[in-house]
Amino acid sequence: MSGPNEDNTQLSSHFFGDLLDSIIADVASECHRIAKLGIDRNLEEEEEELRLSAQARARVADPSNSGETNNKYVVDIFGQTHPSVASEIFECMNCGRSIVAGRFAPHLEKCMGKGRKARLKVTRSSTAAQNRYSRSSPVSTYSPYSNSTSTNRLSNGTSGVAGEEYSNGTYEEP
Amino acid sequence: MKHSVNRPPTPDAADDQGKEPTLQEIINIKLIESGEKERLMELLRERLMECGWKDEMKALCRAYIKKKGRNNVTVDDLVHLITPKGRASIPDSVKAELLQRIRSFLVSAAL
Repeated sequence: MSGPNEDNTQLSSHFFGDLLDSIIADVASECHRIAKLGIDRNLEEEEEELRLSAQARARVADPSNSGETNNKYVVDIFGQTHPSVASEIFECMNCGRSIVAGRFAPHLEKCMGKGRKARLKVTRSSTAAQNRYSRSSPVSTYSPYSNSTSTNRLSNGTSGVAGEEYSNGTYEEP
Repeated sequence: MKHSVNRPPTPDAADDQGKEPTLQEIINIKLIESGEKERLMELLRERLMECGWKDEMKALCRAYIKKKGRNNVTVDDLVHLITPKGRASIPDSVKAELLQRIRSFLVSAAL
């Protein structure tokens, strides 16, 4: 004889299946609608985009093109011409350096962490922060910053802090 | 009399007395009336979106539509396409979470 627990399990599975079926129907209906209306990444559009980007890449790579459509002298609808590399200079909000606009994207890649080097930069600074708070200073009597944690952040990590002022208990004894 | 709408005749009161609602039906009604069914659906929808299950299903649909041509596909086709794969690819943690909540509801609603 099946006890109440087994009934419960079976019932739960039944209702879970019910919910799932509803959601599957929703997803199918949504995809169907998107497909029929031809919105949101139409396949022909994608293929068209791929084709155009391949074309553009070929045009850029081909040096002999500068005869007819030199980028510098192409005129836009307002009658303005633009240099091929944007030349405005502004400040990167992540590292604070002055960057040429045309080089901003590659700069951000390195600066914000797509690459191996950028990620190393980040972990180096965070482990330095950890070391600041957890290691006791080799010069144990020197502690002008021992009272408040906020002034410690001003120091650039070259001075350790005397351990006894910290109550979070994460420092190790020398 | 002209019937503009096809519908089955209204059942007599006499017919219903033999049938008692099953346990499943009772619980279903309780789920809906308390609003818990709606909450569970939203929870499941959210979890499935977070784990990428919805995107996987949409990709399957898109591939199928691309193969068949978008004017030859019905909602039914897509449902039959997704259902077996959809049921099989639910992450265990999501399933466990939902089952747990349903079970708690059953326990709390049981008289």
